[in-house]
Amino acid sequence: MYNFLTSIAFYNFLKGPMVWIAFIVFICGSTYRLVELIMLARKDKVVYPYLSLKYSFRSLVHWLFPFGSRNMRLHPWMTFFAFTFHIGLLLTPVFLYPHVMLWNKAWGFRWWSLPEDFADIMTLAVIFCCVFFIIRRMFAPEVRFITYASDYIIIAIAAAPFITGFLAFHQFVFPYRAVLILHIILGEIMLMAIPFTRLNHMFFFWLTRAHTGSEFGVFRHSKDY
Amino acid sequence: MSKMERKTVVDPGFDETIRNLTPEQIEKTVNYVLEKEAAARLKAYVETCIHCGLCNEACHFYISYDRDPSYTPVAKVRHTIWDMMQKKGKVDAETLKMYARIGFTECNICRRCSMYCPFGIDIGYMMILVRRICSLLKVAPLYLQDQGYSHMYTYSQSWLAQDDWVDTVQFVEDELRMDIRNARLPLDKEGAEIMYSPHSLEAKFKTNLLSNIAKIMNVARADWTMPSFDGWDSTNQAMHLGDNETMGMVERMHFNAGMKLKVKKIVTSE
Repeated sequence: MYNFLTSIAFYNFLKGPMVWIAFIVFICGSTYRLVELIMLARKDKVVYPYLSLKYSFRSLVHWLFPFGSRNMRLHPWMTFFAFTFHIGLLLTPVFLYPHVMLWNKAWGFRWWSLPEDFADIMTLAVIFCCVFFIIRRMFAPEVRFITYASDYIIIAIAAAPFITGFLAFHQFVFPYRAVLILHIILGEIMLMAIPFTRLNHMFFFWLTRAHTGSEFGVFRHSKDY
Repeated sequence: MSKMERKTVVDPGFDETIRNLTPEQIEKTVNYVLEKEAAARLKAYVETCIHCGLCNEACHFYISYDRDPSYTPVAKVRHTIWDMMQKKGKVDAETLKMYARIGFTECNICRRCSMYCPFGIDIGYMMILVRRICSLLKVAPLYLQDQGYSHMYTYSQSWLAQDDWVDTVQFVEDELRMDIRNARLPLDKEGAEIMYSPHSLEAKFKTNLLSNIAKIMNVARADWTMPSFDGWDSTNQAMHLGDNETMGMVERMHFNAGMKLKVKKIVTSE
């Protein structure tokens, strides 16, 4: 079993067809979820009439910049870790040199990539942020009260590719190929999990934010940040 | 995980009506509201919330109960709407009472938490859904239910019908003439600048408040009026029940009164 899992054939499968499957599930799944929600929202009488570009934008800008909203200023540490985590989570995989080279080999184009040391720091930062989130979930009473297994699973899904990626890159302790294969599997799981778990706040964030921002701006003439 | 500990709330509106409910009724009502009425926004909210607990700082219940974690907005949603969705409406009477207790007595739907949520999740909307489900099942504080029925039967909050209202205005006018000569509480004056619509209780228990505003209007020589017909009451308790049908009727009636009298402004009390 171990021999099969670390075999070249399995590695090639994960690097080839499985990547296609993962991306197709990710893109189609996300599109489906978004279209489903947008169609469903047409039945809701107070969604579309409330939307306003100006106030959606105002709300999004305040919540996309660190310390742009009152609640972020009330929780400076949480803000710091949350922003570091999300920036690292989005930028590192896209601009990591080995990842860029994989795209280059497959499709022949390449883009700017992060310096190795910087990518290392970002990876460690993401892992550290996940540790912070887990500690916060375990010890802050108001968060522990509403923490369920699914919340830890979501953090694990996000953290696992980074941990294995870091281990594979530095070839620590564990056998390189096994860790690399694990890294690929976990990365593909994460991609496929996005549309079907609460990780889809990646897409829904924009919609809920826009609606609430518009409502507060247009109808209540107040801030929502 | 710490427990949710509460003193027993005794309210005939909860305890007596809940005894007559069958599990099928509860299931049907919960699923009707969650699937037919609330589909899109509720779905987006429930599937976006990451349980970060950042909304807690907004909640005055949470802060005034010495930061008890069971009073955070997200915990309240977790124990009502999410619980219903997970159980697909298959809940017993005791759980339904918990929903009603949280919905009616532990959240006053001020919506401050939506301003604190990083995703802008409208928690107030989810709590009003809880209230709606409970009040459709007639599980709501008796006092509030009573006011809701009053809106349905007499078009005012306090069981004061239209003829009583006109009567009240007349004796308030009589009494006011002891202070101001020829004081008037003009009814149905078409084209007036201001339509004053009182709180229902001003007409029932605290007529001195109606008298006070009339005194101000008379001394200021304002061009004002009040409707003699239904729609004079500015309050709307059906809103707090999540009874959207009655709420709509009451609001429409109030607005139509202003339109019928062709007034420029509607001034409400309180």
